[in-house]
Amino acid sequence: MTRGEIIELFIQNAAKAGAEVQVVKDQEGLSRVALEILKGRGSIFCPNMTQREKALSLPADRCTQAYASASLCIEEVLGAVAETGSLVLSSQAGKPVQAGLLPGHHVAILPAEKIYQNLDDLFGQYGHSPPTNITLETGPSRTADIELTLTLGVHGPGRLSIIVV
Amino acid sequence: MRTSSEQIPFRANAVQALDDPALRATLRNITEIFTQKRADAVSSLPFEEWRDQASALRLHVLDNLEDYIGRFAGNATRAGATIYRAKEAAAAREIVASILKDRGATKVVKSKSMVSEEIHLNDYLESQGIEAVETDLGEYINQLAREAPSHIIVPAIHKNRRQIGELFAEKLGADYTEDPTALTKIAREILRQEFLSAQAGITGANFAVAESGSIVLFTNEGNGRMVTTLPPLHIAVLSIEKVIPSLTDLPLFIRLLPRSATGQILTSYMSVITGTRKPGEFTGAQELHIVLVDNGRSRVLAGAYREMLKCIKCGACLNACPIYRVVGGHTYGATYPGPMGVVLTTLLDGMERAHPLLDATTLCGACAEVCPVKVPLVQLLRGLREERVEKGLTPWVERKGMIGFGWVAKWPLLFHLGQIAGRVFWPIAKRIAGDKILGRMPDFASRPFRRRIS
Repeated sequence: MTRGEIIELFIQNAAKAGAEVQVVKDQEGLSRVALEILKGRGSIFCPNMTQREKALSLPADRCTQAYASASLCIEEVLGAVAETGSLVLSSQAGKPVQAGLLPGHHVAILPAEKIYQNLDDLFGQYGHSPPTNITLETGPSRTADIELTLTLGVHGPGRLSIIVV
Repeated sequence: MRTSSEQIPFRANAVQALDDPALRATLRNITEIFTQKRADAVSSLPFEEWRDQASALRLHVLDNLEDYIGRFAGNATRAGATIYRAKEAAAAREIVASILKDRGATKVVKSKSMVSEEIHLNDYLESQGIEAVETDLGEYINQLAREAPSHIIVPAIHKNRRQIGELFAEKLGADYTEDPTALTKIAREILRQEFLSAQAGITGANFAVAESGSIVLFTNEGNGRMVTTLPPLHIAVLSIEKVIPSLTDLPLFIRLLPRSATGQILTSYMSVITGTRKPGEFTGAQELHIVLVDNGRSRVLAGAYREMLKCIKCGACLNACPIYRVVGGHTYGATYPGPMGVVLTTLLDGMERAHPLLDATTLCGACAEVCPVKVPLVQLLRGLREERVEKGLTPWVERKGMIGFGWVAKWPLLFHLGQIAGRVFWPIAKRIAGDKILGRMPDFASRPFRRRIS
């Protein structure tokens, strides 16, 4: 598969799982789309660690370090898997994996070159000593426990936005 | 109800379930939806090839189970976990309780674990003064209603929205609503506080990876992630056959499990957890205890029905089963319902207690057809049924009736007379008996099948 086909497959599968996916060309596009998503969404947690995160120019008065009570988490993620439309999170990224779980809305910045084609490519790299926690996040939190009626945002975020750069 | 050594009253339970039109409507709805979703999810994929691979791999693990458990235990320990092996359910319960007591924990949050149901962990913890809060929405509903799961994937599916609305109003003091979104929100808010304040989390595991010492959890709600990342102490309770060799084998099972269970490509969340938090990490429990439960599995492994242990507990066979579809999970009076449940319960609990469950099959094979790891459910069911007959456990009328039928079937003239007598006397017998089971039996055809096709 070409890089373009892998990105296309990822977008398709992530959307199928209920994620809202947008593609941007550069940092300028990223900042614009991010600010649009953040508009009127309350307090924001951002790890502010990567180049892309730092360049977001987030509204300082709405930023918080307390991710457990933030209404939204925006962060750059380690990677993704096209086969399943999943984001890859890991405890070795120098930030809490659960930061994207507790707020009601998770916004992921995904560098396009970090999308694995399939699960084998991802799990082939860890060997005997994987990080303490590897999590695949595929769409928003969901349940069908009441009469098989789909309900989003049970315990985790009810919205997942992915910005592919 | 499940700890007693009495026979499971499957027939009496079934009569009750068949008389509950609301339950039957719910069951028809969910089993049809799940079956359709699964069928859509596996089409246009090399699913058959994956099933063969997974079946062979599971069998390979069972052939070398002690070795793989040893490797899993060694690698998990190296990553910071503490491993326990419990021969029986009672030992497993006591291990979990003593870990919690030693640390003064009085409240724990749990994510769905069938093996913890099997060992009746919650009741025991309660008797020891420890409150275990179920956090999967379906399990939470069951816990409020003090009921057992009726399906291994959607545990509260026997309840409709009105019943759940009434339950939340009564037990939680919430305003009555029957809107699933509003009900979910009520549970979310209550359980969020429980996650943040719990002293420990208890989970099961879908897989245990030998080569890395990892455990793997699939959830849709996110409760599994909460339970394993927020409290400082994590206890995982899992049965010994959950081991797979290496992380490179995981993709195969990721491709099979959610598709078979709910028709999803992947559940919303899947976590691979390896030991405790390392320096420089911000995620992971400070203490991880893994309890490997045998509870009769070593005995099953040594016997003729060992392939049952290939099962990865996806629930596809429940949805496919014509019996499960009309009687539902509670009728089985056991932790695991449906075809896999009949076999596993008979093997784990023993023939004397569980043999009435062997009536819960038509041997149609729909279960084996959807099984992602090719458990030969029909052969296993047939084998157990033969054993049941050999042990003289079938009802007297059935035994004598079979002998009588065998005799009649040898003589065409007698057989023919029997058919005529049946057409005349069967409806009368049905009316006189007034028995609910007999009353539901179909009438004899007015023209024999032989004549209809000739």
